[in-house]
Amino acid sequence: MNHTIWTRPFYYVFAFLIASISIYPILLMILSSFKTSAEIFTSPLSLPKTFSLDTYRNLLEMIPFTTYFMNSVFVSVVSVLLILITSSLAAFYIARFTFVWNNMIFFFFLMGMMLPIKLGIVPLFILMKDLNLLNSLWSLIFMYVATGIPLSILILTGFFRTMPRELEEAARIDGAGNLRILWNVVLPLMRPALGTVMIIQFIQSWNDFFFPLIFITDDLKKTIPVGMLSLFGEYSADWGALFAGLTLASLPMIVLFFIASKQFMEGLTQGAIK
Amino acid sequence: MRPAMNSVVKIKKQRDWKRWTIHLFPIPALLIYGMFVVYPLFAALTYSFFDWKGIVRGDFVGLKNFKDLFTLEPFSGLFWNAFGHNILYFVLQMIFQNGLAFILAYIIYKKVKGSEFLKIAYFLPRLLSVIVVGFLWKLILNPNYGALNVILESLGLEHLQKAWLGDPDTALISIILVNCWYGIGFGVLIFLAGLQSIPKELFEAAKLDGANGLSMIRKIVLPLMVPSFMIMTVLTFIQSFEAFELVYAMQGSQGEPYHSTDTLAIYFYRLAFGGSAGGSTTAVGLGSALAVVLFIFISFFTALYLRYMQKKQVDM
Amino acid sequence: MKKMKAITFVGFLAFILIISACSSQSGGDSGESEGEVTLTIGSWRTEDKASYQKVIDKFNEENPDINVEFKPSKNTEYNTILNTALQSGEGPDIIHLRPYTPGIELADAGYLEPLDDLEGLDQYPEETLAASKGSDDKQYGVPLNISTTQMFYNKKIFDDLGLEEPQTWDEFLTLSQKIKDEGITPISLGTKEGWLLSLSHGIIGPAHYGGNEFVDSITAGETDFTSDEFQSSIDAMDEIKQFFPENFEGLGMEDIRTMFFTGDAAMFPLGSWEIEVLREMNPELELGFFPMPSAVGKDPTITTWVDGSYAINASSEQKEAAKKFLQFMTTEEFGTMFTEEFKMISAIPGIASEDELVNSLSQAVENQSTPYMMLVHFAGGNPSTKATIETELQGMYLGERTPEEVANTVQESAKSWYEPLQ
Repeated sequence: MNHTIWTRPFYYVFAFLIASISIYPILLMILSSFKTSAEIFTSPLSLPKTFSLDTYRNLLEMIPFTTYFMNSVFVSVVSVLLILITSSLAAFYIARFTFVWNNMIFFFFLMGMMLPIKLGIVPLFILMKDLNLLNSLWSLIFMYVATGIPLSILILTGFFRTMPRELEEAARIDGAGNLRILWNVVLPLMRPALGTVMIIQFIQSWNDFFFPLIFITDDLKKTIPVGMLSLFGEYSADWGALFAGLTLASLPMIVLFFIASKQFMEGLTQGAIK
Repeated sequence: MRPAMNSVVKIKKQRDWKRWTIHLFPIPALLIYGMFVVYPLFAALTYSFFDWKGIVRGDFVGLKNFKDLFTLEPFSGLFWNAFGHNILYFVLQMIFQNGLAFILAYIIYKKVKGSEFLKIAYFLPRLLSVIVVGFLWKLILNPNYGALNVILESLGLEHLQKAWLGDPDTALISIILVNCWYGIGFGVLIFLAGLQSIPKELFEAAKLDGANGLSMIRKIVLPLMVPSFMIMTVLTFIQSFEAFELVYAMQGSQGEPYHSTDTLAIYFYRLAFGGSAGGSTTAVGLGSALAVVLFIFISFFTALYLRYMQKKQVDM
Repeated sequence: MKKMKAITFVGFLAFILIISACSSQSGGDSGESEGEVTLTIGSWRTEDKASYQKVIDKFNEENPDINVEFKPSKNTEYNTILNTALQSGEGPDIIHLRPYTPGIELADAGYLEPLDDLEGLDQYPEETLAASKGSDDKQYGVPLNISTTQMFYNKKIFDDLGLEEPQTWDEFLTLSQKIKDEGITPISLGTKEGWLLSLSHGIIGPAHYGGNEFVDSITAGETDFTSDEFQSSIDAMDEIKQFFPENFEGLGMEDIRTMFFTGDAAMFPLGSWEIEVLREMNPELELGFFPMPSAVGKDPTITTWVDGSYAINASSEQKEAAKKFLQFMTTEEFGTMFTEEFKMISAIPGIASEDELVNSLSQAVENQSTPYMMLVHFAGGNPSTKATIETELQGMYLGERTPEEVANTVQESAKSWYEPLQ
């Protein structure tokens, strides 16, 4: 008992100190978007003098933000759905069965993370050209699914393995097929792992700028990060505008996370209570 | 058991029919992954056996690129320099990212007040694009008006002020710590998911046996967290040796200042794509050779580690 | 309750998919009518989009059936994007070519269309054309603009302290010392980004190695980088670090620019492209420049090079139309428009600018220019000699290398690929 009383305050201070370090730079970004360049340099810690939205208004007039936003949403949502389906099927196979080649398949999937994908960019470009996918959002979706699969399988396989065998056996005795076991027994129990994969992959596909940079030249097919990247060239000296652009690029993800986080965190705890 | 025989046979028959369908499960993942990751990468790995003039492929030269990479200066010096940086990357990330993440996950798991807020706070940085992260921290670490030095000054700690990213002694470490800042939320999430899948009954039982906090961690938490540790270690290992995006966003492709932030992936990028803004020339053959070496190294140690962990799991 | 939630979620997803699908289809064909062709221009100048649109509009006055789309990509990734596309037989019809080695590499690889029969090429001087001439001696690019580097200075600070533009290297040092004594940073330069170091060496160096004469003799193989002339240029780079800002090793481009336009620093060794940015950031800034005064009794120098050319993709299907556009880029009409719109010095000889500063710069170019030697002649090798001097100078400022070691390493690097030095 003594033990808890002694450590609690320490826990609090520590946990909240780290939390403030986590949040500070993001606040800085949002606050700086209301400042002028001179303010950013001379008083980096202070609050902005005014909270005028003019910079934002100008930016939104200059770039087709809604188009970028829609493209990003489409690409990310479809990618995440496909990743969840393909990876849980594969992870179920690797984790819950003991075929001799399972370790090899697992390792084969991991290999994709061990090489810089940029290495293969020329073969990839030719492939996309042959598939007629250049300047198509599907080129991005395929890339995000393909590059997201290794990490997802690593996470899902790890967690699928922890599930007690008895639950699965019971379902099997009841005559359930593999697909039904996966859907009705494994996935509901693995909510925390699925939630993790979902959010990580969503962020990954939302924030990537390399593939759209290479595969997309049509302005109407660009995603938010690439659209915003051009600001770095145009506003390299006007830091207030630059920060407004960065905030605009990050805000959808942050808002989405706040909306989803309740659902998502609930999922985490529910999975635990079982 | 005997009376149930009939139904068992029936199930068995059904299973035989259904048995082969299970092999369809990994197919979609294998197809997409094979087509868009494995095929292009292996097509590009063959580049390492050719002589390259700019971006035009020349003659087949066997292993010459590999030999040059390890024997020809400045290439070999740069290789080992970058390799050392990757090791430092891994070690510091294991300590500051994963170590802290585990402690924080445990604190949240113990249900302190505001744990909902904490979870969200730790995860927030992970929502940003790496470019944004790099840009923000470059500003914070700026020697003359960056927030860090300003804060140090207001605390009367002027002697600790530094040109964080311009000083070869602190540049790489700063980047790695920013990487930890960025990745800690993910670690917390994975460890929390691991902690939460530990059946509560185990704790109750241990409590009845009179175990205290620390021995509870040692006897129950750590062994049952093996999958989470495995995931985080493998991931951190691979990510440390592939470290690119943040370094690129903060210091560019030259490993500045004076090669002090060079990593193998940055070095690869510089060789294969000629660095940024068209300042330098390309050496595609050497770049691919470097990627091959990196791949062999990572896959060897990952395989070794996975094998070891599997044994450990079986032992339990 | 739970089911309801699931249903709303699925409904939401379907909704998103539908709008996204619509929005991504609507951007398809641009309604091309018969006889019309569409050209795309690839470039790294994202900041010039609006200006290029004006150029295109002008071009369309005489060529209404050629649609031209200017599609720039991010500066630092431009080479990767362009090379990938070219290697796959794709890419824009008209290519903004990096000057010298990287551009010539593309020409030698056969990705560019030779332009020797293009009208208007003969007006450019030989050294301007050299920026995009292939190793086969054919011309592959139309030179666009001349960039210059020189010392910018804040006229107000100079007036307040009663200072004059220096005529000799010693005067330059004395003047810097005076500024420093007044508590103002004399030279706004940081060493965190290597490219700034080869750039500023390009300004300071000629004052010590003696300008064009040295360049001629080193490219002929008569002297090398360990010579006293070159060594003194490195020593000078080391000497002036006492005039750099505090913490210079941690400062990059944005930092030093800000120091200069806010008046915290008096001089700024950088390129002509900064004029527009500086004016935009601080319209009150009284901007001046001076050519670098010589330490060895020669004329002061302005450092120049061709900063880009336009070429045609060899696999383009619209070569004729593309040639028409490039031809337009050689006209005086274009040159004048370029100077006015972009506030840069056109590569076309004899184009005057209404901007006083740009005009006096282009006059200085005609009388006092010396090439940016590292970029023009020594951007080859791997790592390139230019990249080598950047790293080595950085090492010198960090105390890791002596000026002698810098010169020796640069010599080693150049010797490994540059034939006249072998």
